[in-house]
Amino acid sequence: MSTDAVAILGFIALFALMLLRVPVGMAMGLVGISGFSYLVGGAPALKLVGQTSMRTVTDYTFGVIPMFLLMGAFVTSSGMSRELFRTANNFVGHLRGGLGIATVAACGGFAAICGSSVATAATFSTVAYPEMRRYGYPQSFATGVIAAGGTLGAMLPPSTVLAVYGIITEQDIGKLFIAGIIPGLLAICMYMITIAIIGWARPGFLPEGKPTSWNERLASLKDIWAPLLLFIFVIGGLYGLPFLPRFTPTEAGGVGASGAFLIGVLSGRLNKDGILTSLLQATRTAAAVFTVLIGALLFGYFLTITQTPQKVTEFLTALGLGKYGVLALIMLMYLLLGCLMDAMAMIILTIPIIFPVITHLGFDPIWFGVIIVMTVELGLIHPPVGMNVFVIKSVIKDVSFTTIFKGVIPFIITDLIRLVILIAFPILALWLPSHM
Amino acid sequence: MNRVYMDRFIDTIEWVAAFFVGIVAANIFLQVLLRNLFTYSIPDSYDFGRLMLGILIFWGIAATSYRGTHITVDLVWGNVGPRYQRMIDVFATLVLLFVVTVQTYTLFDKVMTTRSDNVLTFDLRLPTWPFFMLAWLGDVSAVLLIAVRTYRLIFHPDYMVDPAVGKEIKPVE
Repeated sequence: MSTDAVAILGFIALFALMLLRVPVGMAMGLVGISGFSYLVGGAPALKLVGQTSMRTVTDYTFGVIPMFLLMGAFVTSSGMSRELFRTANNFVGHLRGGLGIATVAACGGFAAICGSSVATAATFSTVAYPEMRRYGYPQSFATGVIAAGGTLGAMLPPSTVLAVYGIITEQDIGKLFIAGIIPGLLAICMYMITIAIIGWARPGFLPEGKPTSWNERLASLKDIWAPLLLFIFVIGGLYGLPFLPRFTPTEAGGVGASGAFLIGVLSGRLNKDGILTSLLQATRTAAAVFTVLIGALLFGYFLTITQTPQKVTEFLTALGLGKYGVLALIMLMYLLLGCLMDAMAMIILTIPIIFPVITHLGFDPIWFGVIIVMTVELGLIHPPVGMNVFVIKSVIKDVSFTTIFKGVIPFIITDLIRLVILIAFPILALWLPSHM
Repeated sequence: MNRVYMDRFIDTIEWVAAFFVGIVAANIFLQVLLRNLFTYSIPDSYDFGRLMLGILIFWGIAATSYRGTHITVDLVWGNVGPRYQRMIDVFATLVLLFVVTVQTYTLFDKVMTTRSDNVLTFDLRLPTWPFFMLAWLGDVSAVLLIAVRTYRLIFHPDYMVDPAVGKEIKPVE
């Protein structure tokens, strides 16, 4: 059998196994090693399994993943989201659609210390949704804002998805984190503008909240100084801000996790149960991510031996679509894949094949990391699957999927516009990393 | 084995992994603190960090495999009835069992090679193979737990809850 036929059969087997709910990493590992074994031999293939597995799990650089996951778990268990929402609400809650704007701001603040889209969406479903409903916000709008706000978790540093992209493509994780800051802030601003436009276009649709005095506003700031300080310390150390110790990404994660733990314990918001649950959550998620990473590396050997990335590159460049045409095609593929699988699986499965195409076309790898994370994050909210939508539905029982998707539509349009802006102006993602 | 003992065994495996996550974070924090405040470096902090990372991940894989919290594509599973869902789960778990068994077998070879090559840590010149062995034991636990999961999925699906906290814990992402 030719290598092309083996490669095609390999991909068919991979998708069949994944659709039969075999863990993505295990399916990739099994197909990768079976294919490699067929083409090269059983003994070297088996040798690769042991070596790759041990090398991956004992790579200090990869420690960035469990550490930022642990930080996110401590932050979530400490309930810091409530203070963030309360403070944002005090400042903008009185505006038309103000609670929606406050939710976006608080999601952004929470994402900056949590790093998980799903956790952000789940947390704000319990924190912001009841408040918005109490003031008469429509269900569709309230859930749509939370679903969209949740996606900020993958863009603002520390982002687990960006870290995984960095590991697979061997890019500087610190630079990737920093590259996500401006696009993340742009997302916050554009979501807020979207809410303001909705409020302006449909005056009776979004109510105004209760105004608060400046004394109350300033007083509420004291509740958020600790998470704010943690973010500045961790990301500032990563960026190399003056007067702060310089960290590697793994160190930033370790310091962030320890900092979140100390803030939670010292403020009395993190009890024994919270600590244990956080440790368990971080362990399970880290193990799940590492399983996929090991599988992806094993699958990578199969891709190399079948020369799949080179062939895909040749095929796409021969289409005559030009570099932006190929980029549009790739992004369309990601949007379609977003209907089938979650962001992490998509990145790990496709990046080893797509990345050589991108570098061949002359796109910046750091910029592409931001673009691709934005694209896969769209998959978290667009129909028919939308992981964030499922998470919100699992927390808020009395709302239908159709209602949530209806609420999300304006934010999907906003995201598409933001994507176009970032493609047109790569400097938005690349300016900060260029100063590191 | 009695269900209660089995659940305690599963919990213990999970706590081992969770303990090492905490230790890795504390190790990094201390290292950064001492380096910046006292320009002192903990000997082998880097090597200990990465070796403990290996231990936590393999023990974590054991727990994750048992709980079924791996990253999966649920498109088909979510659109079929409970009977087919169970069949899919059993099939997926059997594939998982096969893959992790092969991995465990090949990892043992890696542990033995590391031992015979006398690979040492950078500062304290300690042998690294005992750490690899501890990590490998996590993979052995994974094989055991996946076998238990398969048995329970087939004969006692009602046992598939999280005894550690009394309910299913969803991963962070």
